[in-house]
Amino acid sequence: MDPRKNKIDQNSEEKDCRQSQGCDRRAFLKGAARVAAFGGAAMLAGCGGGMLGSKEELSLRWKEYFKKNYRLMTQEEKDETVRRLERLAKISNNVNVQISSAAPIEGVLYGYAFSVTRCKGYMECVAACVKENNLDRKSSMQYIRIFEMEHGQMSPEVGNAKFYHPVPVDDHFYMGVQCNHCQNAPCVKACPVKATWQEPDGIVVVDYDWCIGCRYCIAACPYYGRRFNWNEPVVPRDEMTKKQHYLGNRLRHRGKTEKCTFCIQRTRAGRLPACAEACPTGARVFGNLLDPDSEIRFVLKNKKVFRWKEDLGTDPKFWYFMD
Amino acid sequence: MVIKTPISKIFLRGIWPALLMIFVAGAAYSAGDGVVQTYKNATAPFDDEKQVDAVLSLPVSTVQVTEIYPGGIFWTESRKDKIQRFKCSECHNNKPVRVARAAEIAHGEILLAHGSEARPLSCFSCHNKEERDFLETEDGMQVDMDHTYQLCGQCHFRQKKDWVGGAHGKRISYWAGQRVVKNCTGCHNPHSPRFEKRWPAIYSPPLSKNE
Repeated sequence: MDPRKNKIDQNSEEKDCRQSQGCDRRAFLKGAARVAAFGGAAMLAGCGGGMLGSKEELSLRWKEYFKKNYRLMTQEEKDETVRRLERLAKISNNVNVQISSAAPIEGVLYGYAFSVTRCKGYMECVAACVKENNLDRKSSMQYIRIFEMEHGQMSPEVGNAKFYHPVPVDDHFYMGVQCNHCQNAPCVKACPVKATWQEPDGIVVVDYDWCIGCRYCIAACPYYGRRFNWNEPVVPRDEMTKKQHYLGNRLRHRGKTEKCTFCIQRTRAGRLPACAEACPTGARVFGNLLDPDSEIRFVLKNKKVFRWKEDLGTDPKFWYFMD
Repeated sequence: MVIKTPISKIFLRGIWPALLMIFVAGAAYSAGDGVVQTYKNATAPFDDEKQVDAVLSLPVSTVQVTEIYPGGIFWTESRKDKIQRFKCSECHNNKPVRVARAAEIAHGEILLAHGSEARPLSCFSCHNKEERDFLETEDGMQVDMDHTYQLCGQCHFRQKKDWVGGAHGKRISYWAGQRVVKNCTGCHNPHSPRFEKRWPAIYSPPLSKNE
């Protein structure tokens, strides 16, 4: 490529930028970077360029790098990035995944109730969650922790989450802790780049591609609901859940924060979260808080319920109930 | 001569607006936009069929429950098609059984541990002695094997009330769409209904090395 032509391109783009009113810094940098990339690509073409993958992969990764925050994307842009991610999964990992960008269902606010009376500590929910959400097997990441607590204890902080013996143990009860999907979420406020937010249906989500890995949200969360990828996540190809969601269980990368999303890929299709479906004792109740006939509303109306650390004002949508 | 108001009185005069502010702020907070208030305000029923299109109607083989919950009719898993030796009347038909050790072969795996130790239940506490394909309540009502909740509910009425409403038991696969829940026997073995002790499915590693 003629370097002079490059230069002209760059000049013309800069000029475009100055002339148009709506040109912000991002768009300018994007233009400038694109010009620089032409130069780089020309150089790579000169020396083989087999190291960074195929030309298609390179171009896909390039476009992925400059996509917007999920909340600013139009539906077309969402569809495009979903297509790119599916193709990239095929190229780099040889798996056929279907990534959804399903929008929240109108008139729905998800709520969760956990029975401390009924949970027996079988941990089926944790196993199902790991499988459904493609959690990193290398660092044994788990979104849910089940605390074994003595009768009379009130906070999981004094419970034992590392038990491995036949359950249930006499005179103990079990309390599951996961993301509380707070209505007034401290993690959302802590994020400096707005990579995490609450969806209209109440699910607190992370845009994994926008996260910078500062872990402020992890420090801000009073429920230990968030996890960090210290290493590149490892998920065996045959154990991978192929039905994914952009904000849910699609594959994450090193240096990104992730969390329970109430299995957004399932719940937005009307299904129960994996933990609630796997529970052998029926300790987990999930449903629509805005539906007066839902199970969750029955629990809130008729059972003794409490929310963990309610005094913090985080307004969780995760209740505990007992008989 | 100027009469000076004591400091304490000035303070007292100032405290009323302060108290009022605290009260108003408190009232505003308690009636605020918390999630509890949000769901309490929502009284219109949610139309799943209209909003969620990916839901299968009745994902498993079901029977309609004879009770209604706040949202209307609902379904539960069928039971008879899951009992291996149904119909019972194929053997229990008032003719002598000529196979040796027949009871042991057919029902040897049943471990009866239902009821208190002082007053345990026996077979005919629940099973109908004459019509073996059916169950029987204490007051002699014949109960179909698909509708065991009618039988269990005569003692476990609290659990049954919770089951009908949604605080006991669980839905099958979907939170939306037609309500299909597990039967009593979907989770509990009717002959020894307590959940047994067993090893957890997975182990949670410590959160940090020094834990």
